[in-house]
Amino acid sequence: MPRIVRGVLITALVVVVLIWLESGFGASPGFQTVLPDAAWRQLVLFAMVNVVIALSLNVINGMAGQFSIGHAGFVGIGAYTGALVAGHLHVRLGSGDPQFANSFIVMPLVLLASGTIAALFGLLVGLPSLRLRGDYLAIVTLGFAEIFRLVIATAQTGGTAEGSVAKFLASLGGQNGYAGPEGNGVPQYAGPFWIFGSVIVATLIAWRIKFSGWGRALRALREDEIAASAVGVDPTRYKVVSFVIAAAGAGVAGGLFASMHDGSPTVQPDSFTFVQSFDAITMVILGGSGSVSGAIVGGVFVTVTVKLIEQLQGLESIQAFRADHPSIDLNALRMVVYAAVLIGLMILRPEGLFGEREIFRRKRPKKGGGDPDNNAAQKSQSTQESTQDSENSTPADKESTESASSKQATSETLTTAEGTAS
Amino acid sequence: MKIEHPNRPAPKAEAGTPLLTVDNLAVSYGGIKALKGISLNVNRGEIVAMIGANGAGKTTTLKTIARLLPISSGKINYDGRDLGPVSAESLVEYGVSLVPEGRGIFPNLTVRENLELGAWNHKSKSVIVETEMEVVRLFPRIGERVKQVAGTLSGGEQQMLAIARALMARPAMLLLDEPSLGIAPRLVADIFEAVARIAEAGTTILLVEQNTRLALKYSRRAYVLRTGEIAMSGNSKDLADNEEIKAAYLGG
Ligand SMILES: Nc1ncnc2c1ncn2[C@@H]1O[C@H](COP(=O)(O)OP(=O)(O)OP(=O)(O)O)[C@@H](O)[C@H]1O
Ligand SMILES: [Mg+2]
Repeated sequence: MPRIVRGVLITALVVVVLIWLESGFGASPGFQTVLPDAAWRQLVLFAMVNVVIALSLNVINGMAGQFSIGHAGFVGIGAYTGALVAGHLHVRLGSGDPQFANSFIVMPLVLLASGTIAALFGLLVGLPSLRLRGDYLAIVTLGFAEIFRLVIATAQTGGTAEGSVAKFLASLGGQNGYAGPEGNGVPQYAGPFWIFGSVIVATLIAWRIKFSGWGRALRALREDEIAASAVGVDPTRYKVVSFVIAAAGAGVAGGLFASMHDGSPTVQPDSFTFVQSFDAITMVILGGSGSVSGAIVGGVFVTVTVKLIEQLQGLESIQAFRADHPSIDLNALRMVVYAAVLIGLMILRPEGLFGEREIFRRKRPKKGGGDPDNNAAQKSQSTQESTQDSENSTPADKESTESASSKQATSETLTTAEGTAS
Repeated sequence: MKIEHPNRPAPKAEAGTPLLTVDNLAVSYGGIKALKGISLNVNRGEIVAMIGANGAGKTTTLKTIARLLPISSGKINYDGRDLGPVSAESLVEYGVSLVPEGRGIFPNLTVRENLELGAWNHKSKSVIVETEMEVVRLFPRIGERVKQVAGTLSGGEQQMLAIARALMARPAMLLLDEPSLGIAPRLVADIFEAVARIAEAGTTILLVEQNTRLALKYSRRAYVLRTGEIAMSGNSKDLADNEEIKAAYLGG
């Protein structure tokens, strides 16, 4: 089957499955059939949103080797943007229950707006901090995310606000959260179709980035910045654009999060604290910095772990323990558990579960990173080999005559070198 | 190794006239003056060596020419163009490639990926393939190891790869920083032979070396750098016979 035909068929199949999950084609939605329990559905969708967060953070922290520790800030910007867009569009569409058909109007605009606004903030933060060498990015991203959150959380909300900015901030509901323009909750348009669809698209984009010239430039930068610029890779440009891509991805995740099915009806500033940024870093490092598969596994793993710890807190014995020891903050203990998991993993597998590798790639170099030989590179290789066959003066020939005539000693050392190398 | 570049005209400088001119160049690290106003020139087609003891400022000179360090004062001119405002990453477009000290290969990438990164400024796949074939002809050992992870190459092979990678950009001028550093004598000879062939094919070379004997053997002219200043310069043959040089750098 030609590649294009196959691609179209696979895409069509995926789209049909996604539509079935959400609409069920008249019957009950496939997602509800598969997972009758709403809590489970929520967990799965939330995990998928986290996967998008991890995939996007992986571009800057994993692939580009920079250290952004305020990713939740961009998720938050995307979430508020998405909630505003979805809320107002919903009113325009006549309110009521969010319809799947209408989501095709709402969600594209939500995701576009969330991604774009987050990307703009990414540019604003990344441009000055990535120009400088060193760890400025970490400090600046952390500060930025906290400022964003605090500006919203501490806004005056009692109707006393004056000036358009203050009024706008007041409309976001401060610490209590934003509940849409009419105050009755952010409309939940992001069902399995949009969330799974976004995960698929984000994975494809991450994959493209990694296994393209772009990804190779990033790997080069990460290994040796001086050598990379000596071959003509512009460090600032690649870092800034990667950061903007990461911010855009986080924004999209935020947009999904804000109007997620079975999600919270309000968008609250406390969903975007340093804890969430730290979770995102954990997902990336746990899965393996630079690995797309790793980001996916890490995203799911961290979501489930967090949920599990939350569930454990509901257990009677834990409740009793809590009543006996009110001074112990179990939420803080979560961080301890996390840190323990992270430290353990760093000792056992310093490069994360996957290292830089991927699940579905067959060819791998013997050591270290994934094999980014793309098709083009393989093609070039075969062209080269065929030319070698047909021409007389070829590298292989030349080399054999050379080593035969003058450099016997060299070819001896060469075999030993080969022996030790492989 | 042809130096013709598909999108870049050959240097305007005629063979034997200055391609690179460094004029009264001063560079400091913070308050420390590493270069105190050095002047030198490299004619098109020449191998020019720069020798000197540890810390004399050789690497600083090359890095500054390669635009990795800011200029405190003075001028760097390449083929009639001022390199002052040029950024490190756009220097390859001018036709100047640096082989950094300590090789600076990408150790976790394969040899082929390293080479392809060297060809970063080429857009055409066929040019890359063609260039790779020429480079591999110069360094057969690299050609045999294209799929190997670069960090697993021997030290000498890594140096070859570093030079090969720089050649992938088809530079008109090569800046080489201590290609003999930490490499077994036999491979050093191979590397210098390759350098000589690169120069024969028309690439101009500025070679920084601590191995004074070899540097003077393979270069036409040389500059002796001492604590940030040019102490001596002249034909390499004459310098090799110079008593002071013999005593200071050739071990008697
Ligand atoms: N990043 C830096 N910060 C401060 N001083 C530096 C830095 N790099 C080099 N120097 C100083 O500048 C002077 C020249 O160093 P440079 O590396 O150019 O010497 P070199 O001639 O290449 O020596 P070697 O033969 O050992 O490589 C030295 O005194 C060195 O300590
Ligand atoms: Mg040096």
